[in-house]
Amino acid sequence: MKNRTNRKLTLFQKNRRGNILIENVIFIILNVVFLAILAGFIYKQGNGVTVLEQSYAKNIALLIDSAKPITEMTLSMEDAFKLAKKNKIPNEEIVTINGNIVTVKLSSDSGYQYSFFNNVDATAYPDIFPKENYIIKINGYIYE
Amino acid sequence: MNKLNKSGAGKVFSVYWFAMILIIAGGVFAMVYLFYGTPFDVRELEAHVLTNKIADCVSYSGKINSNLISNGIISENKELFMENCHLTFSSIEWEEEQYYAEVDFYKLENLDNPFFSVTAGNSNWLSDCEIQENKEYKKLAKCNEGNFYSVDDANNQYIIKILTAVRKSEKNVKI
Repeated sequence: MKNRTNRKLTLFQKNRRGNILIENVIFIILNVVFLAILAGFIYKQGNGVTVLEQSYAKNIALLIDSAKPITEMTLSMEDAFKLAKKNKIPNEEIVTINGNIVTVKLSSDSGYQYSFFNNVDATAYPDIFPKENYIIKINGYIYE
Repeated sequence: MNKLNKSGAGKVFSVYWFAMILIIAGGVFAMVYLFYGTPFDVRELEAHVLTNKIADCVSYSGKINSNLISNGIISENKELFMENCHLTFSSIEWEEEQYYAEVDFYKLENLDNPFFSVTAGNSNWLSDCEIQENKEYKKLAKCNEGNFYSVDDANNQYIIKILTAVRKSEKNVKI
């Protein structure tokens, strides 16, 4: 009986060492997975449709406000193109300028508008090469 | 028991560990939501750009635009200031104009009273600028001020003060 207890104890002690290592590894993996999920969530929020639409619309409106006629501006919109492609939005429809309002649309059920005060005729179209650029052209002043 | 709690099993299945994870995740979620849920406020930049644009239109290369003052005489078409400066303050996006601009021309002999003033846009936002002289309030219009020296055709000297205000609070502040 005494021998059997001793044998059991020895086996348990051997398994304990193995358990400690495996359990610690699982613990570390779970922590890493948790941190990765958090990082992924933050990255996704920062590159979300709402944030990008707003920042590009305001950027373009400010560019138009400070521009003078016969100006052509090239804006790198790589992340917007990627998101639009994912959401099946044609490149020509990402940025539209209607009167003095800039609209940026990166998904079918969203869109952000921002107005500018510079009374100019402005047009926006995607660049042919490189494809991740958008061209904003200030054609001239509007005379009424 | 103590030995068990010190082991990984104690950590993995500990209620405290799950509680900690939930608190951290909740905190991060709240911070991210607050950060990205608040719109980018570009009104200060906009007001600055508007001030510069008006300055370029009022005076170019140190000479006052002859459409405004010529030989010391105020031109009759001062109301056409908006057209001369190529500004459009109305937009289908807003029911009322979201901009205000004021240009005051002071003669060097009298810096207290403006010799001539031109205003454009919604004057309701002017009071927002006055309120914020000492402290800024996010939800009120953002203002920008600039002044410079210029001369007219007859070499009369002027100090020109430009005040601009941009509201657009709904698009730039979380309301």
